[in-house]
Amino acid sequence: MIIVTTPQITPAALDRIIEHVESAGLRAHVSRGEQRTIVGCIGDEAKLAEHGLAALEGVERVVPVLKPYKLASREYAVETTRIRFGDPAGTVLGGRDLVVIAGPCSVEGREMLHDTAHAVQGAGARLLRGGAFKPRTSPYAFQGMGEPGLQLLADVRAETGMPTVTEVMDPRQVELVASYADVLQIGARNMQNFALLTEVGRVQRPVLLKRGLSATITELLMAAEYIMAQGNGDVILCERGIRTYETATRNTMDIAAIPVLKRETHLPVIVDPSHAGGRADLVTPLAMAAIAAGADGLIVEVHPDPAHARSDGDQSLEPGAFRDMMRQVALIANAVGRTVPTSAPLTARSAA
Amino acid sequence: MTPAICKLREDIAAVDARLIAALAERVSLACEVGRAKAAIGQPVIDPAREAAVVSRAAALAREAGLPEDDVRALYWRLMAMSRRAQLEDLGAAARVA
Repeated sequence: MIIVTTPQITPAALDRIIEHVESAGLRAHVSRGEQRTIVGCIGDEAKLAEHGLAALEGVERVVPVLKPYKLASREYAVETTRIRFGDPAGTVLGGRDLVVIAGPCSVEGREMLHDTAHAVQGAGARLLRGGAFKPRTSPYAFQGMGEPGLQLLADVRAETGMPTVTEVMDPRQVELVASYADVLQIGARNMQNFALLTEVGRVQRPVLLKRGLSATITELLMAAEYIMAQGNGDVILCERGIRTYETATRNTMDIAAIPVLKRETHLPVIVDPSHAGGRADLVTPLAMAAIAAGADGLIVEVHPDPAHARSDGDQSLEPGAFRDMMRQVALIANAVGRTVPTSAPLTARSAA
Repeated sequence: MTPAICKLREDIAAVDARLIAALAERVSLACEVGRAKAAIGQPVIDPAREAAVVSRAAALAREAGLPEDDVRALYWRLMAMSRRAQLEDLGAAARVA
């Protein structure tokens, strides 16, 4: 249940409400807005007598929440969650500005990562993606560079100022990956790896959570709930296509998931048009559709030479095509009242 | 309640007050570091530095006979608090400027 407080509630009255909830063995999650504060109650609600709560000073009303996800649900937060990244230009995901994350599927070497980072940054991407640990369907396929790949990401991060996003696959590697990367990505295949979700919640780093291949929207939100239950509220949801009977595309982008998620949760929603379509020629139209449907950002695979990429070359854009995509996306963004950067932000090197 | 328990509770309250004051000082110092980094165009957040601080705390916890994993979890939470405070502080500074 959530407790909606009266406007201008005093801190002492709010303290008493929280103490009342927590003394019954539940956890209180406080969300503060400019006009109102709400207190979400997590735990066995039967222990909280509603009439007792409603009588407390500062309580306007008590509202039951029947959904299985609590912390992730829109009712539990007054405003949309905004996630800040620590680059010099101060990127914020979840506001009017769209945030585009771009980079190679896998980190393959210093030169390609460096070239890709500069190219995507010049086109307006604000975060750099790159996999060092790769979950592959075949055990014989390239599995990623591992820690040397993380080091390369950190080197390029220092040079460009771009915060980095990289996947973590194993709970034992969470602290290692967190020591290099700004955002921890949970891949689609690990969306319900609950030990991993708990561990990334524990290190408190922003988490990019990809929807599983066959996961429902509720299951995605329950996965986010696992991370948030550890006290880490910086969760980014990512629609990346789901498995259907259609074989013309790698996956089927669930466009309806975007407005449904925006209605159900306060967390920012981004879309991965690269995996959704699985083909480079589909990336731009899917990206445009995602922004039109209300996505807060995109994560796009870009490779300087897609024909020779060690993974996902078919769906990777070359830098020129990425610039074109950004221009197309900017048109749609403008039409729906959003903005997208199309030029390079301040970089660590240029500002120093 | 015995007088001994009352006294112990008072001592705990005093330790809590010192902990909160130390946390406030820590957040304030972190914001200063954030502003200094922003002034020279460096990214404010440094994942390697955060990990090193957590490791140092874990080592100190071991020496003090505290459960290391609990202290690591506490410090990751503290890192997140400092990170958010730094970014909020810089965001507020940018809005004023």
